[in-house]
Amino acid sequence: MKKFLSLLLTLALVLSLAACGGGNDAGTTPPPADSGSSGDTQAPPTAAEDVTITVAALASGYEEAYPGMWQEVCDAFTAETGVKVNLICDKNLEDVIGPSMQGGDFPDVIHLATGREKGLTEQFIKDRNIAELTDVLSMTIPGESAKVSDKIVGGFTDTSVTNPYGDGVTYLAPMFYSPCGLFYNAGLFEEKGWTVPATWDEMWELAEKAKAEDSYLFTYPTTGYFDAFLYALMYSVGGADFFNKATTYAEGIWDTPEAQQCFDIIAKLASYTNPVTPAQANDQDFTQNQQLVLDNKALFMPNGTWIVGEMAEAPRAEGFKWGMTALPAAKAGGNGASYCWLEQAWIPAAAPNLDAAKQFVAFLYSDAACAIFAKGGAVQPVPGLTDNLEGDNKMFYSIYDNGADAAMGNFAAYNAVAGLGTVREVFLDPVNGLVNGSISKDQWISDVKAASDQMRANIMG
Amino acid sequence: MRSSKSRGRFLALCVAPAAILYFVFMILPTLNVFRMSLFERGAYSPTETFVGTANFKALMGDVKFITAMQNTILLIVTVTIITFFFAIVFAAILTREKIKGQNFFRIVFYIPNILSVVVIAGIFSAIYKPENGMLNSILSLLRGETVMILWKDQPMVIVSVIIAMVWQAIGYYMVMYMASMSAVPESLYESAGLDGAGRLTQFFQLTLPLIWTNIRTTLTFFIISTINMAFLFVKAMVAKGMADVGLSFMYAQKDAGLYGYSMAAGVVIFLFSFLLSALVNLVTKREVLEM
Repeated sequence: MKKFLSLLLTLALVLSLAACGGGNDAGTTPPPADSGSSGDTQAPPTAAEDVTITVAALASGYEEAYPGMWQEVCDAFTAETGVKVNLICDKNLEDVIGPSMQGGDFPDVIHLATGREKGLTEQFIKDRNIAELTDVLSMTIPGESAKVSDKIVGGFTDTSVTNPYGDGVTYLAPMFYSPCGLFYNAGLFEEKGWTVPATWDEMWELAEKAKAEDSYLFTYPTTGYFDAFLYALMYSVGGADFFNKATTYAEGIWDTPEAQQCFDIIAKLASYTNPVTPAQANDQDFTQNQQLVLDNKALFMPNGTWIVGEMAEAPRAEGFKWGMTALPAAKAGGNGASYCWLEQAWIPAAAPNLDAAKQFVAFLYSDAACAIFAKGGAVQPVPGLTDNLEGDNKMFYSIYDNGADAAMGNFAAYNAVAGLGTVREVFLDPVNGLVNGSISKDQWISDVKAASDQMRANIMG
Repeated sequence: MRSSKSRGRFLALCVAPAAILYFVFMILPTLNVFRMSLFERGAYSPTETFVGTANFKALMGDVKFITAMQNTILLIVTVTIITFFFAIVFAAILTREKIKGQNFFRIVFYIPNILSVVVIAGIFSAIYKPENGMLNSILSLLRGETVMILWKDQPMVIVSVIIAMVWQAIGYYMVMYMASMSAVPESLYESAGLDGAGRLTQFFQLTLPLIWTNIRTTLTFFIISTINMAFLFVKAMVAKGMADVGLSFMYAQKDAGLYGYSMAAGVVIFLFSFLLSALVNLVTKREVLEM
């Protein structure tokens, strides 16, 4: 009897352990809290009503401005199509969905932009692990008669941001866009009678004036904010042709006069940067750098439209008023440029419910969804959306109407190589070193050249 | 005979759950790390290619990895020495001397240990703030002029990390040494006192040798935990690329899409910490004194 009992106990133990071990593959045990009820998705897709898709969306500033924004969109989608949606919405989305994806459990739709520190979207691009969206563009939006491609402003599905392999095939849907530029205290400029510089020469003159006022010309939150800055700078200096060549690492491109001018401007800007900037250019303290502009201790910083909401509670100098300008023109009479920062939504190639996922992406461009997103201040590249903007946002989004060129696109994807580093590590992070003097301009340029050669050799497409 | 057999079976049954869990969740993943370091793949991609020892060869030539390991070693050495010095001195003072509010000090020193690293990073960002930060304000007061040290910028950044790590670790080890110091019988000190040994001699001849086993064990713990803590502090406190340590290099490679390469870095760090602990164990070997 005793023997039998102990045998039974051992058996129970082994079985329970086996269940634990194999659970994730079989989907018998509920996966950890955050990945939700993805077990349901295993059910055979008999009718639309039985399908549940998992949508993972980054809870960014827009979600903060209007909590529940994504849930409302998902509910509207369910009401329209009957497909149930299980939403994962988190500030640290990578940490929430990453582990289960490594176990082979993918969400159906992911809204997460490139250019984030964890580089999750870039990794999917490098692995060619994203589903094509060509048929989504020709799909009819659920509940409407228009096609998806009719509702996306021209040009937004033509850049490397949405077509990462340069073959004209769209893999990432263009979602929220926001003009990036230099933010400043418009109140201070009025008070001092300064004009916003239209060329870099005027910029350097202003730097001397700022010095007289015990202030500095420039600061930046972290080096990550230089990506939009660098893109706009390359566009304003060399135009679309130079921009395209540089972002595909064309041979000898960094020896051209245009590239030299870009390096010169950044190096000179570094010398006019408030010296405390690098000490605060980390995830913990970057708001202190933004505070420098609010306190008139630095005149300009590169940023995006979300800054107004982000610093809404911060103390500020008397008469402070947000202003935003495009990057100055490279030479007198030229055009300034502003980078158009674009967030993407995409479908992992291994998504369990590909068809329903595509429907969801199409639905994101419906009037209903656009209206919900607009409540959070998120603007999609859909015609007519910017007409309804109010307050600061109206001024920000009118930047292109005021003569600035729009720069769009990003550095081309390349196969990861050991020791090469990311675009941010090679091009942007050294700016900290330029400001504090731990790296020379020549060293930075030669590092960029060496890395760029390797990136070209491993380019995808 | 029969009873010892069933006893053995009972014991095996009791140990089995822990042993199996340990095997499944510790041994297997560790072996998997070693296996993956020989492949190249993205973290989320289903395909992988066998590359042999290519990852390790690339690692040895990667300047960033070498710098990261240099920073790791610097942190291990300095933080260990400073923390142990202060922990032992404070513990000796709090157990041997009659000080008012002993319990109060014990709690104050211990508090940093129960704070999460994120909270500590927040506290130190207020201390290290260049303008009106606590540290710079105190220095300005002492010097009589405005001091503007950029604590989280080069070249002070590594010093800032060291200070924060020492501040966090002292309390825990102090409490450990206090426990073993209070186990030293009072009579030993009395007879030493009668023999004319001063306080310092008592400390070096009595206290230190008698708690040596404890110091040895904690030293090994500390070195292994510092490798991990250094990563947490650097990650939470300073900008990427300012003072990268071994584990932050590992994570950066994973984020860059080089999962196999980051696992190779993990293997090197694993072996490094293993060898270092063995070395420390060997170097600190003394004859065990009985009380």
